[in-house]
Amino acid sequence: MGRPNPRNVVVVASAVAGCVAPFVMGDLTFLMRMLLAAIVVTGLSLLMGYAGQASLGQGAFVAAGAVTVAVGTTRWGLPPLLALVAAPFVAGAFAALVGVPLLRLRGHYLAFGTLAMLLMVQTAMSTFDFLGGAFGISGIPAFGVGGSVFADQRPYVLLALGLLALVLFVTHRIVDSRFGRGVRALAGSETAAESAGVPVMHAKLVIFALSAMYAGLAGGLSAFFTPYVSPDSFPALDSFTYVIMAVVGGLGTLWGGVVGAVLVSTLLQVLNSVTSNPDLPPTLGPILQYATYGGLLVLALLFMPRGIVPAVESGVARVAARPRAVART
Amino acid sequence: MTELVAYLISGIALGSSFALIGSGFVVVHRVTRVVNFAQGSLAIVGGMASATLLDGRLPHGLGEIAAVLLCGVVGLAVGLLAIGRRGTHPLISLIVTLGASMLISAAVIWLWGQDPVSPPGLSGSVTILGADVQRQRLLVVAATVLAFVALALFFSRSHLGKGLTASASNPFAARMVGIDVRRMGLLAFGLAGILGGLAGVLIAPSVALSFSSDLPLALSGFAAAVFGGLTSPLRTLFGGLSLGVAGQLTAGYLNGSYQTEMALFLMVVIMIVRSSAFVQEEAK
Amino acid sequence: MLHVEDLVVRYGSAVAVDGVSFEVGEGEMVALVGPNGAGKSTLINAISGLVPPHSGTVACEGRIAQVPEGRQMFADMSVEDNLLLGGWSIRNRDLGEVYDLLPDLAGMRKRKAGRLSGGQQQMVAVGRALMGRPDLLAIDELSLGLAPLVVAELAEHLRFLNRERGTAVLLVEQEVTLAFDVCPRALVLEAGRVIAAGPSAELARSETVRKAYFGDLVGAETMVAATAPETSEVSR
Repeated sequence: MGRPNPRNVVVVASAVAGCVAPFVMGDLTFLMRMLLAAIVVTGLSLLMGYAGQASLGQGAFVAAGAVTVAVGTTRWGLPPLLALVAAPFVAGAFAALVGVPLLRLRGHYLAFGTLAMLLMVQTAMSTFDFLGGAFGISGIPAFGVGGSVFADQRPYVLLALGLLALVLFVTHRIVDSRFGRGVRALAGSETAAESAGVPVMHAKLVIFALSAMYAGLAGGLSAFFTPYVSPDSFPALDSFTYVIMAVVGGLGTLWGGVVGAVLVSTLLQVLNSVTSNPDLPPTLGPILQYATYGGLLVLALLFMPRGIVPAVESGVARVAARPRAVART
Repeated sequence: MTELVAYLISGIALGSSFALIGSGFVVVHRVTRVVNFAQGSLAIVGGMASATLLDGRLPHGLGEIAAVLLCGVVGLAVGLLAIGRRGTHPLISLIVTLGASMLISAAVIWLWGQDPVSPPGLSGSVTILGADVQRQRLLVVAATVLAFVALALFFSRSHLGKGLTASASNPFAARMVGIDVRRMGLLAFGLAGILGGLAGVLIAPSVALSFSSDLPLALSGFAAAVFGGLTSPLRTLFGGLSLGVAGQLTAGYLNGSYQTEMALFLMVVIMIVRSSAFVQEEAK
Repeated sequence: MLHVEDLVVRYGSAVAVDGVSFEVGEGEMVALVGPNGAGKSTLINAISGLVPPHSGTVACEGRIAQVPEGRQMFADMSVEDNLLLGGWSIRNRDLGEVYDLLPDLAGMRKRKAGRLSGGQQQMVAVGRALMGRPDLLAIDELSLGLAPLVVAELAEHLRFLNRERGTAVLLVEQEVTLAFDVCPRALVLEAGRVIAAGPSAELARSETVRKAYFGDLVGAETMVAATAPETSEVSR
């Protein structure tokens, strides 16, 4: 009987832990935020890793999804399920629209362009009352289907787990498809890909919109979970955090988003609980937070540029190969 | 009319800082092809450091110079992280500088707290064309002009400056004549630190800075640099001044909260319009 | 003065220079010929220190300066600045010497290098290399893209340098007649290996050289059919 693939073991164990946790833990906010981040970052990892496009403003699409749910349920009285389903499509359409001019930029220009887009979305939200104005939109109803309604945090977490699984499945299918291979060529060299017959702009737009859909889905669900949406809900720092999670986890790997989200969220949560001790100076929290963000990013990029998932996989492969090498002597 | 003059002057002063930060982007990008996200943070360090150094320790003039030199060292450190390792792809270096800017933010909070800081500047004001103009703002404009002139002379006349220009112009030929292109890149980062630090030192007395001011400053500086195609310091100066003036005019005559968005929107439009020109540049 | 021994240079898994050994003595003029893709440029770059070798040694008892393929100007900078940069690594930069040797350069000293003609740029490239007071000039494709008259003039400058200053020359050239004309000794490179070496006059008559250039029209018609028993053929 062959040795079980270590990656599969970790995945199954995590999935089991994930399903058990909601029934065991008290406050599920942290877990929920982590799962939502995992959904966003899976999309971002796809965009940055496979298509080689940098986005510092993914929060704009999270906002698009959240606003869709907020406006849909409070202003238009849409049933929650419909609003949630609409969220990723609105975000994806927004991305497709904005992407046509924006994706003509490359590299650092695109990075700054997406950041500018995020800030402009924030401004639009605070300017137009329809989108919430300065105070945002509150009173979003609880999520529910048909007659039943989510009563506490637990069902949200389970739904988030389900959506994460869905998102991972979709990503897996896309990556393995012919389309996915064409996209991967983009990350290498766009001119080479073009001469190989890959429709570059089209592929970039599709991946951009797809990553936006993931983000919009997470945004929509978060709008139900914390029933309040305002421009301040999507600060630039969050978008940078998504990038950090993507990089740490491993760009362009299926599980990179999840691993990055789990690791970074947990690390930050630990830091948070350590520094919220009232005996410590109040600035210690933000100091360590920024230091961690910066340190993780720099260390990960310089020493583990392919992220944790590939590093662990190759590490395990090296360890597994050793006994066989010894036996040969 | 006096209102217009006041807006113009404050716009030019603010725009000068954008131009200085932007020239930092240009210097680094020309030599290394990297965009240094930490340019805004360098300005913050400059402003904060000058506040501390001037607070009873060093006299005016020396304090500011010391702060600027400190920023040069910090810029060099950022450069070591970003390009110290051979073969780092420029986009990776960009994100590394993003990480560096966060590390700098952590240091800023640690050393100066989270509240805005404003060092003492030149006090008093002067009347120009009927408008009351603060001396500090005139100093900003004068210092910026001097800095740009010095920069131009450095690149065209000095041995080291020519080496930097050569590394930017043709890295292969530069290596061939014996120039250490990587060391030139680090020098560029140090120079960018000085320019960013100068921007912070000049603007901080008028506009109090805090650790979170680095993002808007970086964006405005980058917008100014985009005007110059990330290669021309002179066009960056023009771009920065235009942005500053346009922003102040928008703030004064239209709604005040839209100036950053105006600048951002213009920046994106210009980037997209010139995108084919940029691609040709990258291909070289 | 220049000793190359068993030099191997690779690009990834491809071998561009495959165990090359040769020498250039003080004040010698040696040509390096061979068809496209033979590895001539890579060899020159390795000798100049621009490309790290995989194995083997390059030893030189003097300074080497390169005149690169395609001139490689600092296009936005003036001719004078280009020349000054050539003296980057040395202490007493003396423009006067170079202007004496190549007087035409003095006339265009303020002009932007990118605006010059190919021949003028090539002269700047040679002047730039000379600023470093090299003992060996390594020239990669002198004639590429230049008119014959211009090339002849440049070749005369090289002979002058060699006569008056004793500067050794290693001339990489696709144009065989030019190479054999300027340099009394030559090496023939093919697929990264030296397949023939010896006095140029003999190599010009050699069958091996003609075979290496089969399909290459430049210079082929001037080569005499082979009956060259005296040619020293270096087997790998």
